[in-house]
Amino acid sequence: MTNGIVEITTWQLIACTGLVVVAGITSMIQKLDLGRDLFVGTVRTFVQLFLMGYVLKFVFEMNTIWIVMTMFVCMVAAAVHIIRGRVKERSVKFIVPTFISMLLSYAVVSSVVTSIILGVDDWWTPQYFIPLSGMIVGNSMTAISISLERLFSDLKTRRSEVEMMLALGADYREASQDIQRGAIKAGMIPAINSLMGVGLVSLPGMMTGQILSGTDPTIAVRYQIVVMLMLVGSTAMGALIVTRLVRRRCFSPAQRLIVR
Amino acid sequence: MSLSLDRVSFAYPDSPPLLEDASLTFEPGSFTLVRGPSGAGKSTLLRLLCRLEEAQSGHIIFNDQPIEDIAPADLRRSVAYVQQMPTLLPTSIRDNLLLPFTFKANEGLEQPSNETLAGYLDSFLMSGITLHTEADTLSVGQAQRVCLIRSLLLHPRVLLMDEPTASLDAKSAQVVLDKAAELSVSGMTVVMISHSEETPEGVTDTVSIKDLKLERA
Repeated sequence: MTNGIVEITTWQLIACTGLVVVAGITSMIQKLDLGRDLFVGTVRTFVQLFLMGYVLKFVFEMNTIWIVMTMFVCMVAAAVHIIRGRVKERSVKFIVPTFISMLLSYAVVSSVVTSIILGVDDWWTPQYFIPLSGMIVGNSMTAISISLERLFSDLKTRRSEVEMMLALGADYREASQDIQRGAIKAGMIPAINSLMGVGLVSLPGMMTGQILSGTDPTIAVRYQIVVMLMLVGSTAMGALIVTRLVRRRCFSPAQRLIVR
Repeated sequence: MSLSLDRVSFAYPDSPPLLEDASLTFEPGSFTLVRGPSGAGKSTLLRLLCRLEEAQSGHIIFNDQPIEDIAPADLRRSVAYVQQMPTLLPTSIRDNLLLPFTFKANEGLEQPSNETLAGYLDSFLMSGITLHTEADTLSVGQAQRVCLIRSLLLHPRVLLMDEPTASLDAKSAQVVLDKAAELSVSGMTVVMISHSEETPEGVTDTVSIKDLKLERA
């Protein structure tokens, strides 16, 4: 035991896989056919997290802005790749605007939090910037895919309403104002719901992690509050910018709805 | 004002062509009926004329100008398009009628008074309906007439109507047809899609889509 942290030995980790075996047996008894997924999922968890652990260790030791930024860009790129898989629309090219707006807005939010709120000397200090921006990217990835999915599906199902307005002289912004609002709202609701339930129905992972590693719970709580508010802010900003940029691509310069 | 197609070709993505090198002129003050089987491209023709679809080749000329050279809002103010299924917002009839005047492109236009709006409702035989009636309480026929009035408030030069009488009862349909005839007599170019075998009074031309071309009967 060091600094109040209980280190998990390799043997203890291996023992933990017993819990997955329980899940595997359940799958077998109930014929859920999840055995393969459970196995692959467990292996991936080990490989990905260990890799990430070593990468983080390397980044912390190097401690240069370029490596931190490269890692940030990779995280955003991975998130955009996942969003691309979740959003089914293919007639509108939304990848580049999504990438650019996520990159800019999250860099701004993360650096504001590290430099102004946490008061860290260098805003890019990896120990703070990477976990915080990682949480932002991970959470708003869900928000942005919900927003985009909603934007596309509403533009399709409410096509006659949008075209009615276009035919009466509206530009694409006016014709899709209501739809864009709905898309942003849909993306933000999970973040707002988590504000309501936090501490009552869930103990957030980051706070739990800090407490487990020996941090005073009242300090962990303060960090968690910063994180929750940061997530709401970045989700709103991300959803707003992404839907604005992507909505524009759903219309031609002649104010014609392209999405079918 | 005349509206014409000059060797226009159009196909939806991944679909067979609907028009190929199609040419036709709608003369000012004419009342044209567009006929043809379902899927022949009648609605697409109207959508091309107001640029809700873009021709792959050829030009559509309005008032001696290719429509690509006209600002979309200006074109659509002059070339009004009334959809087959009436689309109204879930608010009062007055707000629905004044909707076009809330758009930036129509800012310079004078907003019609309540008296003018009520006059329109009367002339379209919408008895029992006031400006404060909620749009979602209207029948399809009444909603269709409100949509038509909404387009006419912008004083278009061309009126495109996609099967305006398809879901209307006989009396409502007659009101719409009489209005269309009256508007064309007053100089407006009216183009109307119809599935009915009958030719309404006042129709000056009949056009059908055959072998990807537009043909006058």
